[in-house]
Amino acid sequence: MNMARRSLLSLLLVLSVQLLLGQSDLLVNANTAYQEKDLATAKQLLDQAVKDPAFNKTSEAWVLRGFVYKDLYKADPTAAGADLLRDEALASLYMAMETDEAKQYTQNISLGYDYLTKTIFNDAARSLNQMDHDGAIRLYAKYKEMCLRMDPKSAFDARDIEFENALGTVYTKLFNQDRKDTTWYAKAVATYLRVLQRDPDNYGANYNLASLYYNRGVYNIQQISAENDIPSLREMQEVSREFFSLALPYMTKAHNMNPSRKETVLGLEGIHYSLQDVEKSEHYRHLYETLEQDGAPEQPRK
Amino acid sequence: MSRVQELIGRMLDGVRSGLRGRTPKVLLLLVPFLLHASDPDKDTTAIVQASYIYNIAKLVEWKDPAMKEGPFVIGVLGSANLYQELLKKYATRSIGKQPIEVLKLPRSADVGPCHILFVSPSELTLMPAILKKLAGRNTLLITEYPDALDDGSVVNFVRAQNTLKYELSLANARKHKLEVGLTLKQMAERVIE
Repeated sequence: MNMARRSLLSLLLVLSVQLLLGQSDLLVNANTAYQEKDLATAKQLLDQAVKDPAFNKTSEAWVLRGFVYKDLYKADPTAAGADLLRDEALASLYMAMETDEAKQYTQNISLGYDYLTKTIFNDAARSLNQMDHDGAIRLYAKYKEMCLRMDPKSAFDARDIEFENALGTVYTKLFNQDRKDTTWYAKAVATYLRVLQRDPDNYGANYNLASLYYNRGVYNIQQISAENDIPSLREMQEVSREFFSLALPYMTKAHNMNPSRKETVLGLEGIHYSLQDVEKSEHYRHLYETLEQDGAPEQPRK
Repeated sequence: MSRVQELIGRMLDGVRSGLRGRTPKVLLLLVPFLLHASDPDKDTTAIVQASYIYNIAKLVEWKDPAMKEGPFVIGVLGSANLYQELLKKYATRSIGKQPIEVLKLPRSADVGPCHILFVSPSELTLMPAILKKLAGRNTLLITEYPDALDDGSVVNFVRAQNTLKYELSLANARKHKLEVGLTLKQMAERVIE
């Protein structure tokens, strides 16, 4: 090797070391900014870092960026653009996991990622409470997508059931606001039936579906007015009878699952009463009174 | 371990505690309110009975001239829900030119003049005295218990195919000077000539 060639190699080595140290400084500075809660600076440095081919394969840049974006999101989760910050945080943490070949940060990445996915689930729940069913469905689908990205074996059975039950309740409330429009009624029925297909012993879905059918039958009877002649009165009774008959097996099942729960006893009393079965209605009325007197502790709902 | 790895590892250990133990909010399982039969607005039997009574009033003729004047009186003995339903939906209506008046009667067989008198099953002990009191009067007695037509009732509510229907005694109607329309006969579950 001649002198010139040796010199060039030495120079490149020095430059590489300097470059590496410079790059390291970028992460060190970002980390310092993060620890000093200067999230804007940390974000700027890390956005710069992950665009650099020298960094975009290193888990340190991604994990740090994930946590910075997580904290930016966390600072005001309701702000405009907060969703985008969370998306960036999740994407960064996913990249961090992918590039962390030494599994050095696995636990921390998982914790951060889980935290963020749970916030999506919580947002879905909040949307349901605000009767924003479409928003809730979108967020819940996103929650599942994010979970599956990190762990393709994620199981959602219990979560799906919980979400669908609550969604059914939102549809029921919307139907109750305007019972002339049966769109929400149909959606509620379909939602509870989906739950029961997956979990036939789900107390809430059995009880709610029974109540939905029963209330629909009662509402139909309530529409009887002075304009109704006897033939139409009979027709209305027959329509309601169908709803009461639909309600009965679900309420019976819910009652059998938790015989000491007063709500299903009252439900059965009402359904049998509306089905003109006075004997059975009175049986449940007495049972309800007995439960009231005994003050029977109610079993926890499934 | 490089300096960067060490710093980031230390930083992560610091923030880890803030991420643990956070479980998603439990979704509220809001059970829809279950309507209850004891609520007047939701007493399906009372709602149907009130409609039947109103329709019966339209399909029967009271032959006594005195009953064709003044208000059309519907007396209710027992069954507060039925009384409420009649009051709510039908008290502003008329039968012919006679405005409907709905009366909640005290628990007594001493019943004043009524076009229609409904006696609920809770007041069955009063029935013998009521039947005696109504003998020959132009009042349509409506009841709700087995074999009531045999006792002298004109219309009796019965349960059939999980719905509420009625049976009719034309013989008893005649005794009370009542002319029963064809539709009322045709729609009855059972008619005793």
